[in-house]
Amino acid sequence: MKIIVCLKQVPKNDSILRINEQGNWIQDRDLTYEINESDAYGLEAALQLKEKHGGEVIALSLGPPRVQTVIKEALARGADRGLHLEDTVFDGLDAFGIASVIAAAAKAEGFDLLLTGLQSDDYGFAQTGVIAAELLGLPHATIVMDVESKEGTIRVKRELESGFFQWVSMPAPAVLTIQSGINTLRYATLKGIMAAKKKEIKKLDAAAVGVDQASLAPKMAFRRVYLPQKSKQTQFIEGTPAEIASKLMDKLKNEARVF
Amino acid sequence: MEKIERDSLEVDVLFVGAGPASLAGALRLRQIINEHNETAGEHGRKKLEEITIAVIEKGREIGSHIISGAVMDLRPLEELLPNFRELGAPLDSEVTEEDVSYLTRHFKIKSPIIPPPLNNHGKYVVSLNKLIRWLGPIVEESDVMLLPEFPGAELLYDGDRVIGVRTGDRGIGRDGERKENYAPGADIFARVTVIGEGSRGSLTKKLVEKLNLDHDRNPQVYAAGVKEIWELPSGRVKPGFIMHTLGYPLPNDTFGGGFVYGMKNDLLDVGLIVGLDYQDPFTDPHRLFQEFKQHPAIAKMLEGGKMLHYGAKTIPEGGLFSQPKYYGDGFLIIGDSASFLNSQKLKGIHMAMKSGMLAAETIYEALVADQFDEQQLSRFEAMIEDSYIHKELYQVRNFHQAFRNGRRWGLIEAGLQYATGGFGLFGDLKTEAGHEKMKKLHVFNRLPRTSGDVPQLEPVKYDNKLTFDKVTDVYRSGTEHNEDQPSHLKVLDFNICIKRCTFEYGNPCQYFCPAAVYEAEEVNGGRRPKINFSNCVHCKTCDIMDPYQIIDWVTPEGGGGPNYINL
Repeated sequence: MKIIVCLKQVPKNDSILRINEQGNWIQDRDLTYEINESDAYGLEAALQLKEKHGGEVIALSLGPPRVQTVIKEALARGADRGLHLEDTVFDGLDAFGIASVIAAAAKAEGFDLLLTGLQSDDYGFAQTGVIAAELLGLPHATIVMDVESKEGTIRVKRELESGFFQWVSMPAPAVLTIQSGINTLRYATLKGIMAAKKKEIKKLDAAAVGVDQASLAPKMAFRRVYLPQKSKQTQFIEGTPAEIASKLMDKLKNEARVF
Repeated sequence: MEKIERDSLEVDVLFVGAGPASLAGALRLRQIINEHNETAGEHGRKKLEEITIAVIEKGREIGSHIISGAVMDLRPLEELLPNFRELGAPLDSEVTEEDVSYLTRHFKIKSPIIPPPLNNHGKYVVSLNKLIRWLGPIVEESDVMLLPEFPGAELLYDGDRVIGVRTGDRGIGRDGERKENYAPGADIFARVTVIGEGSRGSLTKKLVEKLNLDHDRNPQVYAAGVKEIWELPSGRVKPGFIMHTLGYPLPNDTFGGGFVYGMKNDLLDVGLIVGLDYQDPFTDPHRLFQEFKQHPAIAKMLEGGKMLHYGAKTIPEGGLFSQPKYYGDGFLIIGDSASFLNSQKLKGIHMAMKSGMLAAETIYEALVADQFDEQQLSRFEAMIEDSYIHKELYQVRNFHQAFRNGRRWGLIEAGLQYATGGFGLFGDLKTEAGHEKMKKLHVFNRLPRTSGDVPQLEPVKYDNKLTFDKVTDVYRSGTEHNEDQPSHLKVLDFNICIKRCTFEYGNPCQYFCPAAVYEAEEVNGGRRPKINFSNCVHCKTCDIMDPYQIIDWVTPEGGGGPNYINL
């Protein structure tokens, strides 16, 4: 089984965020980075499938040179080789643009499964995997919690609302977007880190992937990014438990009007 | 018992802890080996082929646990990387304006002259954190293996000879049981192990104890430093402005002082150093720091600003006479771990780097001789004694001891020491470990009035603008630990906390910890700490200051700890 896992490098979620001068995104000053959370679970799912069925796991990341850290981390955890999509043309792409580049690179590589995380921690679009599937003309499933593979058929467990699940089957190749927390992430071992040094990371630019700037032109733009305004206030109710309970009921009835 | 399959790795030289000492040492060693190999043919010497150098680090990234003041003496950096400017070293600003002041509760009295030891002309305000994040990749490119997320959990011995380090296990749950992703620590064997763990290193502590390396030396004394980085309205901060203060809020019997350093991009460094040899068990360095910021002179500087980052770290300031023997069979100790720090200027970065670089020279000779025993490695001491860092340590060898009877006498005595090349009035002075100076509650009239009435410091309210509680500050240190692991703060006997400490010292762990790790809980009429280990910023204050010495700080799962930026 040949699996490509898409790994996005995102700012750590406790970073100090400063809005840039244009007011349409954050500055990269003082940011530290990590693997997008759900992508890390995608990688683990891929590694577990490989352990079961054999084959190959390819770690793919798109972005500036710093994203190689993410690829190296994946190689240290057990991915077989890396694909680094890097070109200034890729700067500032929207989900459609990113999906177009990934789809082209994945198509050239060939695969049985293309995995992405459910959504990225920074943009949170949850579109990249789905658009890539459409561009490739392949079946896809989102919010995937479990993956089984049998004779060219992929069977996945999807999360629905309110604790319900759904099992769906589809033929491979397919694209899956993986939910966070579905497995236990492994650690990079010393042996893995040593082995990773010898693994290949192939760099591909726009020409190598076969995409041109015009076809990637963003169809969506950020108009304004701003910090959320604090609008909620916490009130402390004091008194004996009985008094607190009755005051709370009063507030719920008359102020919040939930009853 | 089931045998654990561990990864193992053999290297020639292993540095423990990726701080300024180890990184400078590893890079210098690679440079010397390269120089040797380039000229080996001409001199008919054997090349040093395939020497492997590794650095292990407990932090998530190289630099994430690095924090310092800092005003830096650039000499070692100039020696190590003469082209550091072209390489884009993040030095921030040259010192342009200095202020040394004494603070009373309401006033600031500026010293008309800068006392010579505090003169920082030609030095640079730096973020050590940024400097290390910059230096890491340079070291890695020189063919040194950097291994973040691998804490040194224990030293490996062959008899009394250090032969390497076992890294920490991962994937152990809070109940001590192995989880699905259990990954045992690896054994890294080395011909020389260089310990550069920083202040109060957990391996250093055990090594010093085992081999009696502090025999005939003064016990180490420490200070705790807490600081915040503030972002101020544009144009208010003068980069290169530095201010040092004495006095308020520290009582006369407590060593330490405040600092304010101006950096680029409207950032201001504000911090307070508190000697960890104070007497009052209710001393709380974080709380004192909040009081320091409320002093009118400091509050005015911070007005309209925003606190961005927080961090805390201990500083070894015992000086020359507190240095353990820093070499032995198979090992060297460098940087803060070996107390290479000028206790008068509280400057240690240059000494850490230089000690690492001299360790590199020592190891180079050892590699050529193919000898790694104590006698061969004792060359380290000779090299140190020939260097400028020894000269500097010697001049201030009695500085911290001068303050044993409080600040007033200390300043006078330190002045006399300065005039006499370090000798002072009394010659070379002994000292005692800081935790032994802590006095019991009754000395401060803080005994429980009725039985069951356990004395406790009144909590204060912080305004979240100028002053912050510990938990808010910890959030600003980026600290994170996997919650599902055993606590890395081992309290050896909770009975002592409940039965004795509550009544004798009032559980001072809840005060001296600057990260709200220890929370006092009532148990059987006494108190014991509930340990919120995931708050731990790895400063080691608890390991140092606990009056019964029953707190043992060990390394948590690799990658846990602060994520310092700009600090």
